[in-house]
Amino acid sequence: MTGDRLAIEVSHLTKRYGDITAVRDLSFTVEPGAVTGFLGPNGAGKTTTMRMVTGLVSPTGGTATIGGQPYGRLTHPSRTVGAVFGGNAFHPGHTARDHLRVYAALGGHPDGRVAEVLDLLGLAEAADRRTRGFSTGMRQRLNLATALLGDPRVLLLDEPGNGLDPEGMAFLRTLLRRLADDGRTVLVSSHVLSEIQQLVDDVVVIRRGELVTAGPLSRLAGPPAVLVTSPDAEALAATLTVGPGPVPRVETVGAGRLRVHGWDAPGVADHAAAHRLRVHELVTEHTGLEQLFLRLTTDEVTTR
Amino acid sequence: MSLLITAEFRRLLATRMWGGLLLTAALLGGGMLGAMALVGPESFDPPLPGLDTEAGLRAVLGILGYTAFVPAAAGTLTVTSEYRHGTAAVTFLFAPRRGRVLAAKLAAYAVVGLAYGLVLAGTAAAALFAVAAARDVPLGLPTTSVLALLARIGVAMAVYLLIGVGVGALVRHQVAALGVVVGYLYLGEPMLMMIPGVNLLYPVLPGGATAALTGFTYLTDAMSDQLGTAAVPLLPPAAGALVLAGYAVTASALAVLLPLRRDIT
Repeated sequence: MTGDRLAIEVSHLTKRYGDITAVRDLSFTVEPGAVTGFLGPNGAGKTTTMRMVTGLVSPTGGTATIGGQPYGRLTHPSRTVGAVFGGNAFHPGHTARDHLRVYAALGGHPDGRVAEVLDLLGLAEAADRRTRGFSTGMRQRLNLATALLGDPRVLLLDEPGNGLDPEGMAFLRTLLRRLADDGRTVLVSSHVLSEIQQLVDDVVVIRRGELVTAGPLSRLAGPPAVLVTSPDAEALAATLTVGPGPVPRVETVGAGRLRVHGWDAPGVADHAAAHRLRVHELVTEHTGLEQLFLRLTTDEVTTR
Repeated sequence: MSLLITAEFRRLLATRMWGGLLLTAALLGGGMLGAMALVGPESFDPPLPGLDTEAGLRAVLGILGYTAFVPAAAGTLTVTSEYRHGTAAVTFLFAPRRGRVLAAKLAAYAVVGLAYGLVLAGTAAAALFAVAAARDVPLGLPTTSVLALLARIGVAMAVYLLIGVGVGALVRHQVAALGVVVGYLYLGEPMLMMIPGVNLLYPVLPGGATAALTGFTYLTDAMSDQLGTAAVPLLPPAAGALVLAGYAVTASALAVLLPLRRDIT
């Protein structure tokens, strides 16, 4: 199983609860080797879709497959897919180790794997404490540890940002990047773009159970801008706009601050160095991404 | 399949409930039966024949049989805690064939039920023989018959635990399921016994079938005395056992088949 590259394919997926259609004719593919963000406002059908992909909820119509197989037909489900859905998923009277030992047995994973995932998630010290006393961050990490027991090729995380502190988020970013670089398939849902913007390569955006757009984040975002802080801001602005070559649009944001459109941060830094101008800070801004996301996912306001 | 059963045992043994359950079995078996034997059925209200008679002995053992709502509640509690604590989703992610998961649960719980029954019957036997010897009362039945009756009660406890599991898998909501199980066994069934006509069903209800196992007619007789109706005859012990087994099989089948298609949210 190691090394398998397994895509998630969602095809014409539909889920109706009575009169309410939670997911409508949804089709998209999540590619291996990348971190894909699954975006949409609350109630857009992200969780329902992820539950259908993992066989917890049966679709009204359409199919969802992982490496070509529906979840229920996977030979080794927990070695193939690890999934974390929000909230509590452990008995309060169990310790972290107890909990993991139950699922190690259920998935047929060696008991030694329990200590490995406890270490990996930084839970070794809390391993023998009952989970009722766990903080939100520890609960998130225990959920993730459970999902990683089988060293799965596909990882699905539903709103992992909820309750994660910045340190936890940084850890998650590093972990997911490593998993994706290893050729694994990673799908992370969120209702806040900024939360996972630094995390994802591709995005799938849905609204009201329907696909809005899907593709690489960079294509959606458009060209970035660079925010420059420099005591030589005026001189820098002057040299940037004289050429030769393509000239960026330069906007003065305040005293000693410029926003440079159309160039990336290394370009601006090299330019400043060549002109022996000082730069104190360079920040790449994905301008308009949040606005774009809002426009994609909120209902258009009808203007008269 | 053995992996799934191992997982269920790990799940059960890691909680404090397991120890508490066996302690309860010892308290009800040794403690309650010992106390009843010490007081003597002849001092009950209304008074019953003493321990030196078959009827008196069957009465105290029959009352022990009525504690079956305890293992039933335990079965309900454990199976509904998977839904309450959100572990059902994780469990079905690891083992998408849900029928097999529930079958493994039933197998593990059957063992727990038998352990409960063994502790209950074992401590009850010890208490009964010790008290009889101390009070110098000859028991109204030969030792082997007493042990056989206690063994039937012990097995009935395992059956009730499985019935509890079935109801839990059916209702899923912990408090509601506990209400159904304890409410029915503790309150509902005795009330059904009071309704003329409906009480004719009593022998095939779980309580009536359990009473048939030990030939325990105290409740039905007391009820008919109060109401001035003819006593409802219980089934023979073997038929009672069959009826109870039928309930356990039905509950188990429900527990295995119901979650197959339901959405886990």
